[in-house]
Amino acid sequence: MRGTDHKGYGVIRNFLVWLQTEFGKGGGEVAQSWSEALLGSPNFWGLLEGTHLLSLMLFAGTIFVVDLRLLGVAFRRTPVSALSERVLPLTVFGFAMVVVTGLALFFAKPLVYYHNIWFRAKLIFLFLALVNIVVFHYRVQRNIAQWDTLAKPPASARASAAISLTAWLCVITLGRFIAYDWYECGKAIPHWINVAEDCAASEFGATDLKEVVE
Amino acid sequence: MTPADLFPTLAPWVHNLQNVWPAYVIKPQFATWEVLHILSLVVLGGASILLNLRLIGVGVTNEPASEVHRNLRLWLHVGIIGVVLSGLLIGMANAERLYNSAAFTVKIIALVAGVILTYGASAPIARADGQVSASAKVWWLIGLAVFLFGIGMLVTSKLINPGVFHVLTAAALIVLFATHGRMRWIYLAGLLVLIAAQWLGTHVVVKQTDFERLDPTNKAFAWVFAAWILGFAGWGLFGARPGAANRPLVQAVGYVTILVWVLAAAAGRWIAFA
Repeated sequence: MRGTDHKGYGVIRNFLVWLQTEFGKGGGEVAQSWSEALLGSPNFWGLLEGTHLLSLMLFAGTIFVVDLRLLGVAFRRTPVSALSERVLPLTVFGFAMVVVTGLALFFAKPLVYYHNIWFRAKLIFLFLALVNIVVFHYRVQRNIAQWDTLAKPPASARASAAISLTAWLCVITLGRFIAYDWYECGKAIPHWINVAEDCAASEFGATDLKEVVE
Repeated sequence: MTPADLFPTLAPWVHNLQNVWPAYVIKPQFATWEVLHILSLVVLGGASILLNLRLIGVGVTNEPASEVHRNLRLWLHVGIIGVVLSGLLIGMANAERLYNSAAFTVKIIALVAGVILTYGASAPIARADGQVSASAKVWWLIGLAVFLFGIGMLVTSKLINPGVFHVLTAAALIVLFATHGRMRWIYLAGLLVLIAAQWLGTHVVVKQTDFERLDPTNKAFAWVFAAWILGFAGWGLFGARPGAANRPLVQAVGYVTILVWVLAAAAGRWIAFA
């Protein structure tokens, strides 16, 4: 990439350019920013990516079990509160690890992620999943005493579990797709994807597939 | 050691594998099948972690181990079958790379150990509420030997050996969950000191560009981490809580059966890096 010769398109992108190319940079011609140093580290990058996946196994794997209980599929004889009390600390710990490693991975390539349609879609589903947790905590769970021991919880709890499962499924799927360069800025891609990825602001520019075909 | 080193005569067959059905069908949708592989790992991870933590004596301890197993066994099957099937399909479409990957060798060894430990030891012990049969003991010993062989293979393979820190991290966290009271804080403080010492040792004492000294320094720290974690795990198994939830052998099965799947997943990820 051309580094700091961008023309400046928006506060977020400018901040990310600074984060990737300037933040932590020392003196000298070969000095690297912290972001570049992290990306170029021979083993730490791999360890971060691996830890992100392993944390996902803990986080998503355990939230999945709680969701199955809410759907009335697993642990039907165990009160929902009793299972949540034992499993959710593991889930929260896993989530913290996923967030920390995810932020570090983002820090290593902020501009790549910023102009990636899968990453942007992932953030939407992540937001949806987090809103669902808040709604479950403050609304659905309010009368848990009435259905705590039921093998099949009420429709509102089951709906919340279904939304949770779907949202995390999408987050994981989209997260994996980020690694693929099918819709990278600069390639001939549909106009709406160029817009969605804000390719015009990227160092590679926007190339509309329709214009190339014509 | 790569599969190519172990089975050199298979090279032509492996080379042609991507042209065989269903590999050529899978290849264009490789990413989708990869997602299935990861989702299977997630299902397996959740089920295996909760079941084996129960054997260690933490997690869902308000239910007997047999009840935890009864509720999770379907998802264990789904996870393992999903991992194997999706792995076979994406493996066929990516055969040449796997054939030359030491990480793939480690992954397959871990997979074999994982299946042996899960179905031969962990599940039967959970089903019997902590009673260990003679056959479970035999499968435990076989599975443990295969697991240690996989660890040995990972540690001695160039370029992928940093992956052992995944197993160490997972082991460190399980011991953290399983340790109680003041010992937990001592254990955690020791871990933090070691992490700080490793950072200083590999950034200040030895420079990041000095690869000749960096590699042995990291290896030495891996051994110190392993000794610290194993020491506290051993204390938890044999020295602490005389009336503890489960017998040392049952807890050891729980520890190793979680770690074997961590090894399989970590090795799988390192296929992409080296």
